[in-house]
Amino acid sequence: MTKIDFDALDFDALLEANLPETPPPEDVIQSITPWRKALNRILTGMALTTLTLNFGLINYFMTATGLVLMFLGFRTLSADNKWFRRCYQIATLRLGLNTILLIINATIYQTEFYKTTFADILSALNLVLVFVLFHAFWRGILTVQEKAGLARSAKGAVALLIWYALLCIWAVLLPVGGWFIAIPMIIGYIAILRSLWKLSRILDEAGYTIKASPVRCSDRTAVLAIIGILAVGISYGYLFFDQYPMSWATASPSSNPEVAAVKEELLALGFPESALEDLSDEDILDCEGAVRVLSKSELYPVNPGRWVTHVEDDPRQPKTTTKTVYDVKELRITSIGVELAGEREQWKLIHHFQWDVDPGFFGTESIQLWPTDRLDEGWRTISDFSGHVRYDKDGQTYTSPYYFMGYETYTSSSIFFGDRSSTDFFADFSFPKEGERQRGYLAYTIEEVNDGWILDSWINYTHQMKWAQYPVNTAKEGRRMDSFNRSGTFKLIQDALQFYPFYPDDLPN
Amino acid sequence: MDERQIILAIQNRDETGLEELILHYSPLFHYIVAPIVTDPHDREECVSEISLRVWDKIDQYDPHRGSWTGWLTAIARNTALNKIRSQSTQNLKTSDLSDLDEVKALPSKEPSPEEQVLRAEQKAALAKVIDNLPHGDRLLFYRKYYYQQSTAQIASELGMTERAVEGRLYRLKQKLRKKLEGGVFHD
Repeated sequence: MTKIDFDALDFDALLEANLPETPPPEDVIQSITPWRKALNRILTGMALTTLTLNFGLINYFMTATGLVLMFLGFRTLSADNKWFRRCYQIATLRLGLNTILLIINATIYQTEFYKTTFADILSALNLVLVFVLFHAFWRGILTVQEKAGLARSAKGAVALLIWYALLCIWAVLLPVGGWFIAIPMIIGYIAILRSLWKLSRILDEAGYTIKASPVRCSDRTAVLAIIGILAVGISYGYLFFDQYPMSWATASPSSNPEVAAVKEELLALGFPESALEDLSDEDILDCEGAVRVLSKSELYPVNPGRWVTHVEDDPRQPKTTTKTVYDVKELRITSIGVELAGEREQWKLIHHFQWDVDPGFFGTESIQLWPTDRLDEGWRTISDFSGHVRYDKDGQTYTSPYYFMGYETYTSSSIFFGDRSSTDFFADFSFPKEGERQRGYLAYTIEEVNDGWILDSWINYTHQMKWAQYPVNTAKEGRRMDSFNRSGTFKLIQDALQFYPFYPDDLPN
Repeated sequence: MDERQIILAIQNRDETGLEELILHYSPLFHYIVAPIVTDPHDREECVSEISLRVWDKIDQYDPHRGSWTGWLTAIARNTALNKIRSQSTQNLKTSDLSDLDEVKALPSKEPSPEEQVLRAEQKAALAKVIDNLPHGDRLLFYRKYYYQQSTAQIASELGMTERAVEGRLYRLKQKLRKKLEGGVFHD
């Protein structure tokens, strides 16, 4: 057979001249249109953004993907008529807003942000934008049909508009009804999506009049740019907004001779020396003339430990037991009660904590304090809470007040108890990623109200174990979620100072 | 009227079918004709001719061999190509016949039997290569060589820059050249 010398021919002309005479394959016929790809993207985007699944990160992924698809779809159609151009502008705005929110979600401020009025305005704006977009989409389709000289009909888009209005009313005004309303809404939504897919068939005729918009950067470049912005923004959030801004300053030893004298007294009464060194002058002076000191100290692990299986060597009754063994225990909590001088029985309670071993990661930390008068009626708190945090680096001690310290009322959800409101004292803080002997304390004074009540003070220390979580929650939020050690992101360590002042020997040392 | 009713009406020589064809399929005809016939006046003429050809050739439409839109697409394209070919011939006839180079450039009257065999082999080989192209490349190929769309049109409809389309077309041509040269025509 003959070999063709392509170099001697105009290759383009050769290809054109030798095209098969039969029509192109059906998939080619279906694909080569100015609108089908764009419209499919828009419809998929609408499906992904209007109804999302709140499972893991799927809702974020669905929304982001849907918004990108709508942005790309409307970009192609934007040059055809003013309604599609409006859709494109709204899709761009929504994509931008969503990108910003996705970045904010990677910072510890995301929960606080969503509580602001600005966030409420954004949510309302988003609802309005979606509504306006659906309306413009409907008008855009009608305009295309009109331009093609065909009858104007886009019932699917009108149905979507009505469905969305009902959804907004349900979500904003009547967030009740549960599945009785949700199921018909979902069924209606699926029916409308089906109708929209049919709508894309209607454009099979009129859609050929659409003039696709030329683009300055390709879809691929646009998508990569969006992914790049998200990656940089989210990384920035994780790197620079994963800790509370603390006011660290070098700590200098007290020069007050009275403080030194009280410290001597306390040491003589058995006050743990390492904890004493961390107390402020004010807290030490509060203990002047102390009657007695009771304390307990315990080490707690935050690592998962290792499983050890033990087989008992008894041939009559062989038994295998498995238990978790902790080779390292990182956190030391020392709880101290100082009985103060005075007619009325008063105690200064101090909860001191110290990281003896680096836990590997420091993000946010939180202490939830349950003071002794939280539940029992025998005592009442008569002072403010005091305390600070410290760490050492290169032989120098740095100190900072807590980022936040005070009572907060919050609502937590539990599968056992449902929603419940609580008010608790919290102290929030972060430690730098470098340094050693990260430590701190909280102290308060109580006074006896009724005789015979146990002294019962709890410290609930929540440590953030890793940075990988989305959206980012602080240790305090992790604690409030009421989910024990949520996904391994947070670790709760509880320690209590419990004793009857009449029987102090019960206190384990 | 839906697609089936339009076909039936035209088959029954009902002129309503022709009117409905023009109403519903003019956008498609314009879409196919526009890249080939650039003059707006000629384009309108061409679209009218397409409708008449559909009317005349409706008996050739076989739904088992392809879709209605596919058949219309082929008719529209062929009508548009014939239109520009006839215009070229017309132009040459009315031009100065002493312009020998242009006359020489006219395609020869009838291909020889050897040329016919060669053309058939080329078509078969090209069809096979096109069938084996990835979907995206196949669409690009048809847009460029069958629909004869401009780079700008392809770019805007695919959401690409013209430069990117040119790059993809260049790579596609290289691929085709390689496949067609690489022993396709050898024993």
